[in-house]
Amino acid sequence: MSSMHLSQFRRWFLSSPPAEWIIQQLRELLIGALRQGPIPQHVAFVMDGNRRFARTRQIETVEGHNLGFEALARVLEVCYKSGVKVITIYAFSIENFKRSKYEVDALMEMAKVKLSQLAQHGELLDRYGARIRILGQRDLLKPDVLEAMDNAAKMTSGNRHAILNVCFPYTSRDEITTAIRETVIDYSKPLQAYQRPFSETHIRQNIRARHLHDQSSSSKDHHHHHTSEVAAGAAEAQTSDAEGSTSSSNTLNPDSAHEQGLRDETAYADPETITSETLDDHMFTAGNPPLDLLVRTSGVERLSDFMLWQCHENTHLAFLDCLWPEFDLWTFLPVLIEWQWKQKRLEQRKQIKVSHTPPAHQAVSSPPLKAR
Amino acid sequence: MVGVRETEIYRRDARREGSPLTAKQREELLRPYLPSPPPQANTVSRKQRGARAVSEFFRIQLYVLVYTLIHTFFGLYMRLRQWYHAVLYRIFAVLYYHHRTPQLIQKDVKGLSRLPEHLSVILEYNPEEKGGEGLEQLIEEIAEIAAWSACAGIPLLSVYEKTGILKSYIPTTHRAIAKRLQAYFGTRRPSLQLRAPHLPAFLNGDLVDESHSDSNQDGPGHLSVLLLSAEDGRSTMVDLTKTLTEMSQRSKLSPNDISVDLVDVEIRESTMAEPDLLILFGPDVELQGYPPWQIRLTEIFHVPDNTGVEYQIFLRALYRFGKAQMRFGR
Repeated sequence: MSSMHLSQFRRWFLSSPPAEWIIQQLRELLIGALRQGPIPQHVAFVMDGNRRFARTRQIETVEGHNLGFEALARVLEVCYKSGVKVITIYAFSIENFKRSKYEVDALMEMAKVKLSQLAQHGELLDRYGARIRILGQRDLLKPDVLEAMDNAAKMTSGNRHAILNVCFPYTSRDEITTAIRETVIDYSKPLQAYQRPFSETHIRQNIRARHLHDQSSSSKDHHHHHTSEVAAGAAEAQTSDAEGSTSSSNTLNPDSAHEQGLRDETAYADPETITSETLDDHMFTAGNPPLDLLVRTSGVERLSDFMLWQCHENTHLAFLDCLWPEFDLWTFLPVLIEWQWKQKRLEQRKQIKVSHTPPAHQAVSSPPLKAR
Repeated sequence: MVGVRETEIYRRDARREGSPLTAKQREELLRPYLPSPPPQANTVSRKQRGARAVSEFFRIQLYVLVYTLIHTFFGLYMRLRQWYHAVLYRIFAVLYYHHRTPQLIQKDVKGLSRLPEHLSVILEYNPEEKGGEGLEQLIEEIAEIAAWSACAGIPLLSVYEKTGILKSYIPTTHRAIAKRLQAYFGTRRPSLQLRAPHLPAFLNGDLVDESHSDSNQDGPGHLSVLLLSAEDGRSTMVDLTKTLTEMSQRSKLSPNDISVDLVDVEIRESTMAEPDLLILFGPDVELQGYPPWQIRLTEIFHVPDNTGVEYQIFLRALYRFGKAQMRFGR
């Protein structure tokens, strides 16, 4: 009983205006203080635990998702205020379509309602300067949801301050495969050959005319033969001109003409110029800064097909035990501070390395073990 | 964050009780919490601007102060935490020691409901360590982990090390692991295969044939060790893209044929399939360029502030994977 009274008192106290004002000021102060250090440019969240939260509190699953959305709004506010440039959230996995129809429909409805509500506040959104992008397999969505998404994306497309990536039907393997496919398509487009101001047919005719001139002056026996050839050549030159000057002319040099045709066929970009940056540019997150921090709630220590490509060298993974609807500034703060602390340590180490660069010969000296 | 009262109103609206809020009402609800509209030039007088600059200056000073305080205390906290963990891990290491006895390790993992079929670890190579000890230490660590895996009955172990230096020391590494297995198992040691993607496998360098046929019936089993490096990560995906591009340019393949399954099969055959469990032995939870395609559903195990390869970490990872509670002591 006493605990109930206590929680009621706590509630009353927290909702009293002075307490609320103090908490608000404290939050502003902490966020403002954090801004003085390094801030992750790109943060990703796996919003895990809505269902388990609902189960433990014995409320409906859909209600759990609603509370999860509130947590998202809180976190977005913190991120925005502390200066994070890009936020990527795992809202719906392609695998989630396997869940009960009721839950999938409810999630879709929620996305639609929230996004269309968002679209009603265009002017307010501009204050945050955040741009919404939807990443994922669009063709798996119903048209009404798609329309709400496109609306929200279009409305905010002018904002430059921050980006919110919503991964909605998304899996990372699908993203990587799409990036590979797009790259292949890009590189399979024949290159537009540079148009030089000289026409091959014209040159060919010119050469022939010269030949003719030489021949006619040297011997008269072959004259007849050559005129007929020139006539044929001229006729052909005309047709090839009409075709666009690339077709072969077997009167001049059949071999070179054949080669030429082949070369035209393979005028593609060199596949060897594909690098991991090329693939990077074809990912859904193209143009965003590299992922600095990935947060996953509810104690599951797996990526679950999210940001596989982006979790590269220095992405700090944070696996938290709290459930997503419980996630707020006070759980996020330690993660941010630890990230800053690591970043500062990294910076220090780099400085030490720079000041104590070993002599070159020592650096390349071979290890004592020999490969045999 | 929004106050309690506003949250209540918002939730009632989200649940669609009574009449839903209009766009206007929602805006009213949030107005006090919104950031101020972007300042318009020329609307503020010079004096006001000066006063604002001064207060802004003091505000920034306060922020810097709080930031310094936070990080001073956090650094202190981290130091304490590292000590605490160092002591805790020492205790664990004493409680769980393998004594190089396969039977003890087998007893440790007996109660687990499942074991990983494919275990992966990330190790670090420190060339700065005096002399060539960095490399020796790396081989030593691999040999230990391989021996534990063989004892626990894990058939496939993949070792990720960013620089890939071990790929040029495959015979040496094989010899070191075989020797370590011998130390654990005696003469009836499991057969050992060591390989790296795109390099020929090194099988049983020194084991005679008859013991291999022996192991088929009731032998000590078999262990495959796979060496991975940063090359097998993103670069492999790039190589696959290059090949597919070439095929597409020669019209041997339509881009529409590129599917998740196709990529999966190719990647699996050229490097490896998905590991079940990945153990990080370093203090940072980072993947260091680990092959991206394969880490989709892999369970990632790490303990905070750990430095170095230890049996107790290995065992705790297996317990976590088997979703079992660890009892103190044996």
